[in-house]
Amino acid sequence: MTTSNPVLSVVGVSKSFGDNEVLSDVSFQVGKGETVCVLGPSGSGKSTLLRCINWLERPDVGQIHLNGEPVGVTSGGVVMNDRRLSRIRTRIGMVFQHFALWPHLTVLQNLMEAPVQVQRRSRAEIRDEALGLLAKVGLSDKRDAFPARLSGGQKQRVGIARALAMRPDLLLFDEPTSALDPELVGEVLVVMRDLAREGMTMVIVTHEMAFAREAATRVLFLDRGRVVETGAPDRFFSRPETERARQFLQRYAGEGASSERTR
Amino acid sequence: MIRDFGIVWTERGLLLNGLANTAILSLVSVVGALLLGFVLTPALMSKKPAVSRAARAFVDGMRCIPFLLFAYIVYYGFPSIGINLDNWGAGLLALTLYNAAYMAEILRGAWMALPRDEIEAGVAFGFSELRLFRRIILPPLVLSAGPVIGNQLIQIIKDSAFLTIVALPELTHAASSIQSRYYVPFAAFITAVALYWGLCLIVEAGVNVLRQLADARR
Amino acid sequence: MSAGDIAAFAQGAVVTVTLSFAGILIGLPIGLSLALIRWANVPLAAWVVALYVSVLRATPLVTLLLLLFFALPNIGVPIDPYSAAILALVMNTSAFNCEIWRAALMNFPRDQYEAAQSVGMRAGQRFRRIVFPQILRNSLPALVNEMSLLIKVTPVLAVVGVVDITRAAVRIGAETYEPLPPFLVAVAIYAPIVFALVSLQRWIERRQVAAEAAA
Repeated sequence: MTTSNPVLSVVGVSKSFGDNEVLSDVSFQVGKGETVCVLGPSGSGKSTLLRCINWLERPDVGQIHLNGEPVGVTSGGVVMNDRRLSRIRTRIGMVFQHFALWPHLTVLQNLMEAPVQVQRRSRAEIRDEALGLLAKVGLSDKRDAFPARLSGGQKQRVGIARALAMRPDLLLFDEPTSALDPELVGEVLVVMRDLAREGMTMVIVTHEMAFAREAATRVLFLDRGRVVETGAPDRFFSRPETERARQFLQRYAGEGASSERTR
Repeated sequence: MIRDFGIVWTERGLLLNGLANTAILSLVSVVGALLLGFVLTPALMSKKPAVSRAARAFVDGMRCIPFLLFAYIVYYGFPSIGINLDNWGAGLLALTLYNAAYMAEILRGAWMALPRDEIEAGVAFGFSELRLFRRIILPPLVLSAGPVIGNQLIQIIKDSAFLTIVALPELTHAASSIQSRYYVPFAAFITAVALYWGLCLIVEAGVNVLRQLADARR
Repeated sequence: MSAGDIAAFAQGAVVTVTLSFAGILIGLPIGLSLALIRWANVPLAAWVVALYVSVLRATPLVTLLLLLFFALPNIGVPIDPYSAAILALVMNTSAFNCEIWRAALMNFPRDQYEAAQSVGMRAGQRFRRIVFPQILRNSLPALVNEMSLLIKVTPVLAVVGVVDITRAAVRIGAETYEPLPPFLVAVAIYAPIVFALVSLQRWIERRQVAAEAAA
């Protein structure tokens, strides 16, 4: 599936760790405003794929482009220096499974740190924007708290606000709710669903099947490092085309149903 | 006894000069040892075996020899291989090199205890090189290693007293000369002990501030 | 180096080892007693011990040694270099040991102690059979570390005339006008002793970690 002027273009990405081939010739595109959910069994390479997009992992082969601009390797085939890579990374927001909030800074400082230090934007302007983002995720009263005092769900909402403060072209989510207690998952998914509805371009690696079914514009099913199936969520969940997808959905059907019930 | 302390009081200039020298020695050494430590720690963890083994040999070596012996070697022994240092130079060099080994171990321990995720988040948000180090790595490192470094500073203050052997005019040396001149050993040395104690209390107060900052963020 | 020099080193080594041993062996039980006084909160005594420990942990050994060696005769207590050396070593190490024992005592689970009380054990029994074995095990790495630190400060005893390894090295260096070789010999004697203690400490720590993992 190709879109004209995709926000993200991944072509032929492969990655091995030693003898273990984790990603094998993965290609896909993400258009503006799309919400792509990457699904698959553990070990299928989902997280590695996500981390290749902003070059936290270096793909062995393949090209990645953000709004037409190459990521990691220039068009001439030269590996980018840190400065250039850092500039591109500021346009890709990332939300981490274990939140990764900076512990020595308050919540508000966490939001302001990268925009001020890396993007060199004005402190006053960032402050207003950060306060607005905190209100948006429902944590205005926690702005002077340190991350250690927050619950998991609160930390992750801060993580999302922190990524948004960079005004990124693309948001990456690496299993954002996997480390949360079940009763805290909902508050994070609500924020993510709202973001999707507002037209944020997102790539989400997740195990939350009900969320994927409801919020994704497209689903990418990965198995053992390959894109096995891709398509609209409704069709994928009700009429999967491949056997591997069928087996995967069967295994998760029980869990998907139970998470439906608790919500 | 009161008379003895009176004598010490009249010589307080000498004692305070010694105290200042002890403080200067200790401060310069702790800064120097930390800077050297920041070089040694990556060497310790280097993937090149030649580098890591050399660093490990230095660190283990320094931790296995008595500081006084090392100071003697630097002051009396180095001249025979061409390095001539006066007592200040030898004292500073010995104190700094010796404690750099301990600092390297402390920094290595603190570095290994740092959560990787948060540093990776820094990279993902575009922090690199110096900015990453200064704003994302260093603050949590200081908060976690601060108390241990503070204890090492206390150790440095005490080690500096050994340098009285090479006639460095630090606090113990000052107390010794007052003692030998006026035969007031108790007053002179007790005053020195009190001054050392005061120095350590100051360092411990600083460490407590760091501990409180760290606890608020834990 | 002549045979006489080697003999001097050997003699110095004996002195160093003897004084270190004495310091360690006497300092351990005294440190424990001080820790118990603080832990049991004996009125006034606990406060005095706290002050003593705080001051002694901040005092350089050389200063303490000079204080004892020169001040005691001055107030009527005659003392020779070797006694002053042992006294200084013991005072110094007992303060550090006190804190090590005290940390283990404070970390001792209160309910074990109460369990011992509830089965009718008397205080002495409680301590000997329940508390002491466990705090000994927990304190062992830190205590061994303190032993290696004690050995590393013994060279300073030469300041008051104790003829240990360092003094032997200094004297030989002064006589032969070649100061470096005897110092290196001194290092060659100290380093293995300290290294052995450090290795022992690491071995103990490894064994304890393994025992805890297996539990």
